[in-house]
Amino acid sequence: MTDAYIIGAGQSDFGSFPDRSYRSLFDDAFDEAVDSVDGDFDADDVDEAFLGTLGVGGRQLGLSGPAVTEHLGLHGIPTTRVENACAASGYALRQAVMAVRSGMADLVLAGGYEVMTDTSGDHTKWWLGVSGETEWERLSGTTFAGVYAQMASAYLRAHDATVEDLSRVAVKNHGNGARNPHAHLGFECTLEDAMNAPDVAAPLNLYHCCPTTDGASAVLVASEDVAGQLSDAPVRVSGAGAASGRVGLFQRESLTGIPASATAAERAYQEAGISPDDLDFAEVHDCFAIAELAAYEDLGFCDRGEAPRLLREGVTDPDGDLPVNTSGGLKSKGHPIGATGTGQVVEAFAQLRGDAHVQVDDPEIGVAHNVGGSGGGVTVHVFERVAEGDV
Amino acid sequence: MSGDASDADAGDRRGVVATGLYLPRRRLDGDEVEAAWGTSPPVDRAAVPAADEDALTMAVAAGRDALDRWDSAAADVAHLAVATTTPPLEEEAFAPRIGAALGLASEISTATTTQSTAAGGEALLSGADADGPALVVVADAPEGDAATVGRRVGAGAAAFLVADDADVVLADRARESTDAPGLRLRERGQTAVSELDITTYERETVRDVVSTAVERLDVAHDAVGAASLHQPTGDIPHRIGAALPYDGAAIARGTVVDDVGDAGAATVAIGLLAGLDAVEAGGTVVAGFFGSGATAVGLGFEAESRVETGVEAAIGAGEAVSYPAALRARGAIGRTEVAGGGAHVSLPSWQRTIPQRYRLVAGRCPECDAVAFPPEGACPACHARVDFESERLARTGEIVAVTAIGQGGAPPEFVEQQRRDGPFAVAIVEAPVAGDGTGSARFPAQVTGRDPGSVSVGDAVTGALRRIYTAEGVTRYGLKFVPE
Repeated sequence: MTDAYIIGAGQSDFGSFPDRSYRSLFDDAFDEAVDSVDGDFDADDVDEAFLGTLGVGGRQLGLSGPAVTEHLGLHGIPTTRVENACAASGYALRQAVMAVRSGMADLVLAGGYEVMTDTSGDHTKWWLGVSGETEWERLSGTTFAGVYAQMASAYLRAHDATVEDLSRVAVKNHGNGARNPHAHLGFECTLEDAMNAPDVAAPLNLYHCCPTTDGASAVLVASEDVAGQLSDAPVRVSGAGAASGRVGLFQRESLTGIPASATAAERAYQEAGISPDDLDFAEVHDCFAIAELAAYEDLGFCDRGEAPRLLREGVTDPDGDLPVNTSGGLKSKGHPIGATGTGQVVEAFAQLRGDAHVQVDDPEIGVAHNVGGSGGGVTVHVFERVAEGDV
Repeated sequence: MSGDASDADAGDRRGVVATGLYLPRRRLDGDEVEAAWGTSPPVDRAAVPAADEDALTMAVAAGRDALDRWDSAAADVAHLAVATTTPPLEEEAFAPRIGAALGLASEISTATTTQSTAAGGEALLSGADADGPALVVVADAPEGDAATVGRRVGAGAAAFLVADDADVVLADRARESTDAPGLRLRERGQTAVSELDITTYERETVRDVVSTAVERLDVAHDAVGAASLHQPTGDIPHRIGAALPYDGAAIARGTVVDDVGDAGAATVAIGLLAGLDAVEAGGTVVAGFFGSGATAVGLGFEAESRVETGVEAAIGAGEAVSYPAALRARGAIGRTEVAGGGAHVSLPSWQRTIPQRYRLVAGRCPECDAVAFPPEGACPACHARVDFESERLARTGEIVAVTAIGQGGAPPEFVEQQRRDGPFAVAIVEAPVAGDGTGSARFPAQVTGRDPGSVSVGDAVTGALRRIYTAEGVTRYGLKFVPE
């Protein structure tokens, strides 16, 4: 079995682009990914594509994948649209890795796209909310903000944690996103800003929630042979973990964490032969501030209840022991649902090649964690820098 | 017309064996109305239903209160009679849904009376004439133009379990009708009640029809300790009473309109509860229902023992609401259509879950003993594909997670509710298996009847049927939870 390598990764600007189509946004992402390939890339060599989207606001429920690759000029290649809510492109990457490792393909495009800001707020909430447990959770009156807020209420009750700890996530991630030219909300915020914003779903306020974003991201996954030909510094996917959980928060054993995240991380670490201590940075799924705290614990960065301490002590700041969301995370960079999973890989690829906007000092191993809904589907991928000449 | 042919045999001693009451939590003080309009308020206070309440939800709440106070089970009820001027839909029986929510047997007879404020009296007679225990529920939340009838309308529900061998015996009944249109009417296609406001004509018609019916009752009129007479405002029952041999105190004991507002068909029924509560053992209580058109129903009860109806405590409770908030809650300041529609859960798939949504029917895994809610799919604990054994969860549980959904944060199907009632709390509730069973299960549910900011993890909550949302013209009902 060949390993799978990332040889290129790129994204469109993330933001609100009501005048753009999802296909044209994906063109941007693909072009940036191609530009990041060290060698001479020929689009005709792409064997297959796996593209994630929730469904682009309902405007193209079927066949949006082929619509994108045909628009891009990757004429005729097999394209599969992957849907797992906010983890759609985390799973698209997983499919690409599986295709390469199996030997069926040598060069696979994984990516995702979403456009939602050109519709009314009600339409967006209707569309987003039906990716949770619809019959019970949604019809009790919650959108995802409400479900994560319930998680936060249980977390704040169970542990030594406060709303200020949730706000620290916003301050840190906005600080990073302000340096990312692709970020949707690329500005800094103070702890005061992040404490005094209006409530969206108490205890979560506006600064504890990621925005609704348009955007696309693209990753080129190659076999060892192709990676050796096209890349001077490919990034190896050394661990690909994924897990499912009950779609409704009320149906799961934990209200303060995401069990599928823990399982997916265990699987990824085991495959990579590492422990969380070996990580040099992480991109985690911070759709809501509580999700970042839960991720620290689910991914084994600390014990249960210790996540607030990591934030307070700056452990996950860019200059800390384990920088988290140097891209700005979903909070600041933005969360174009289907594009988020491979968007995280764009950051991991840049970090491991020394090209990041908020560069961690000489990282060797990083992790990306992508959650669908409130935890129904999760992917965790471990990425490793490859020493020159090793591929 | 005293003692008509269908009257029960004297030996049955048929009458009221248990009562129930429901009043919405919020009350609009007349001073608020006076400040807005610059004229004296038509009633002292009015109960204001929340956006997720209607005649049906209030009927279920009052019916449950009566069943809880009865020494038999809901399954023993043989007849359900419901009355309201304002059913949730103009056409569609609403008794079946009340029966389902209260766990009544599916084969019982039902009767619905509507289109008249006298409907409450008709429903009580339907219960009196039934074979076996009858549940009679009178629930109402009339609507009126904010400038006219709407300034005094209230809401509430009263329930009566009518059976043989009662301590409160229905001693006699009487009717009177006359052709007198235009006193209170609702035009076809309209939701709001209107009045022509021809004062003398209205007052004299009401007085004559109601007093004639009540006077015909074969009861000891000089022993009447309380009378609940037609009461759209507080002065009307006293005007009727002037034609009857009752003192002002007896009429005051049965008059509740200045506390609950004009609750349509339900006001006299709630006044009857107040009267039963107020008289000592051996007292006589009369009720005089009036419906424009015009017709009156007189009922005479002899109470061998005093009845605790809880009406005084319910009237004393409640929370003040401003006039704009009351108008908003009642949907008087415009309603909204939501762009893009809502989550589509088909009606059949909603109906499949009615046992869960009304009665918290859960399942127990025969393999590992875990409790599943809803009881479908693999066992949540051992993940085996099993046939769950049916279990009921208790209607009282504990909040284990909760959020308050702020303005702008509601899913589209809840936008109208939030527009009218403001932010709402949504919890994950953990409820134990009912009775002596072991285990518990969690489910998400809206919290209602409290300021959402005051709701927190650890609070005890009890289920109450409320409107969940409306899609395709059909309102879906289910349990929400009220903090203790």
